[in-house]
Amino acid sequence: MKCDDVRPRLTAYLDGELEGDRGSVVRGHLRECAACRHVATDEAALRDGLRALPTLDPPSSLWAGVQAQLAAAEVADARKPAWKRALARWAPSAPRFAFGGVLAAAAIALVWWRTHRADEMPQVADNRPTPPVISPTFKAASQAPASAAPASADDVTADLAADAARLTDSYAMTAKELRALAAEARGRWSADRQAEYDAKLVELDAAIAQAAPGRAQQRAWRALIRYVQGAVVRDDVALAGVAP
Amino acid sequence: MKLAVIALLLAGGAGLAAAEPVVERSRLEVQPGGQPIKQLAIENPLGDVKIEGYDGASIQIETRKLAPDDEGLDRLRVSLVPNPDGTVRLTTTADGGSEYRKLPRGAVRIDLIIRAPRDARIDAVASGGHLEMLNMDAGGELDTASGRISVRNVSGELVTNTVSGDTSLVQVFGTIEAQALSADLSLDTIAGERLVASVNHGKIAGRRIRSRHVELMSTDGRITVEAEAVLRGRLVVSSLTGDVEVRLRRSSPVTIRARGTKVNLGNAMANVKQQQDAWLEAQVGRVAPGATPALVQLSSRHGNVELVFIE
Repeated sequence: MKCDDVRPRLTAYLDGELEGDRGSVVRGHLRECAACRHVATDEAALRDGLRALPTLDPPSSLWAGVQAQLAAAEVADARKPAWKRALARWAPSAPRFAFGGVLAAAAIALVWWRTHRADEMPQVADNRPTPPVISPTFKAASQAPASAAPASADDVTADLAADAARLTDSYAMTAKELRALAAEARGRWSADRQAEYDAKLVELDAAIAQAAPGRAQQRAWRALIRYVQGAVVRDDVALAGVAP
Repeated sequence: MKLAVIALLLAGGAGLAAAEPVVERSRLEVQPGGQPIKQLAIENPLGDVKIEGYDGASIQIETRKLAPDDEGLDRLRVSLVPNPDGTVRLTTTADGGSEYRKLPRGAVRIDLIIRAPRDARIDAVASGGHLEMLNMDAGGELDTASGRISVRNVSGELVTNTVSGDTSLVQVFGTIEAQALSADLSLDTIAGERLVASVNHGKIAGRRIRSRHVELMSTDGRITVEAEAVLRGRLVVSSLTGDVEVRLRRSSPVTIRARGTKVNLGNAMANVKQQQDAWLEAQVGRVAPGATPALVQLSSRHGNVELVFIE
C-alpha cells in the first residue's frame, strides 16, 4: 500500500473505524513509513489537543435567562389550542434536519481539511520512537451495551438474555487488543520474563475456560485484562501482577 | 376538507396522548428474619439502582416501573428473596413469550431506590443504568456495562467494574479495586490499605489519595493525581501513551523512580541518578538505617511524567 492510499484512511484508523485487515494494513505501513507515521502522530496529537480543551462553565446568569425563557414558553404553550400544540410537536423536526445537514457539511469539511493538510506535510525521515497506535477497533464493541443490541434482540426479554454475551465479547475484544500490544512489547523483555508472561497467560486462559458463564467468567476475563495491561503499560512483567 | 384535516390532527393528538408512558411506583419493607441482614444482592439490568445506608435493620425498597402501556408494565417483574442466613436477593426482569407484543428495551425501565442497614455488604449489577452507593460500611462489588458508578462515603472492601460507564469514588475508606475498559475514573478522598485502579481507554483523576499502596494504570489516558506518600507505602502510576502528573505530599522519606518521554521531578531533579534500565531514580528525605522509605514510581512510555511536591 502506498502513502497516497494510507493518508486518506488515517483519520478513520485513529478513530478505530478500520476493522480487521484494513486496520492492520495501515498499521503495517506506519511501521515502515516514517513520513506517514509523522502525519499519524501529528493527527493524533491534534485530536488529543482538541479533547484536552478545557470545558467552559457558562455564567450563572445564563441559566436564569434560560429558565425565564422556558417559563415564558410554557405559559405561551398553555394558551395555545390543543390542535396547535399537537401540530407543534411535529414542527421542530424541520430545523433539526437543517442542523443535521450543517453538521454533516462541517464534518466533511473537517475531513477534507485534515487529509489535505496531511498531504502537505514534508516527507522527512523521522527517527523518533513511534508510540504504539492503539487500535480502538474494540472501542465500539466495548461500548456496545450502551447503544447497540444484536439485531435479533428487538424485544426486551431477548435483549436482556444477550447482555452476558455482549459483556463477554467486550472483554474478549479488549484482551485481544492488549495481547497484540504485549506481543509488540515482549521483544524488550528478557527470556525469563517472556516465559513468566506466557505461563501466566496459560493459567489465566484456563481460568476463563473453566469459569461458569456469567459473572465468574467475567471476573476471569478482568483478571487477564489487568495482567496483560500491566505488562503492556509498565512494560515489565515483574510488575504486571504486583499485589502489594 | 378542513374538517377532515382537523379530524386527522385530533386523531394524531389522541395517538400521541396514548404514547405517554405508564408509571407505577411501589414501596416495600423487608424485615430481617432469624439473622440481621448481612448481604444484599441486587441485579437490575433495566434501570438505575441507588443504595443508601441507614441506621435501621430492615431494607426499604422503592420501585419505579415505566412502560409504554399497561401490558408492558405487567411484563416488568421485581423479585425479592430473603434468605434465613441474612442474605437478600433482589432481581428485576421482563417476562417474555409469544403472547406479548414486541417491546424494545429502551421503552421500559425499572429504577430502584434501596435503603439498607449500613453494615450490609452490597453486591449490585446494573447494565446501562446509574449505579450509586452511599453511606455503607461493609463495602461491596458494583458492576455495570455502560452505566455510571458513583460511590460516596463508603468503607470496607470495594470492587467496581464497568465496561464504559464513568466511575466516581468519593470518601471511600478501605481496600479498593476499580476497573474500567473505556471510561474515565475519578477518585476523591480515598484512604485505606490498598487502591488499585485501571482504565484501558480513559483518564484517571485523583485527589486526596492517602491509601498505603496505590496503583493507578491507564493504557492511553492521562493520569493526574494528588496523593500523599505514606510511610513504607507505595504509589505506582503508569500509562502507556498518556501523561502522568503527580502532586505529592510527603511527610516521610521517599524513593522516586520515573521514566517517560520527558521527565520533570521538580525539586528532586537535583538528586536524580540515571539507572541502567532507563529509569531515573532520586531519594528525597533522609532514610534512617533499617527504615524503608515510601516508593513513588511514575512511568509513561510515550508520554511525559511530572512530579510536584506540595506542602
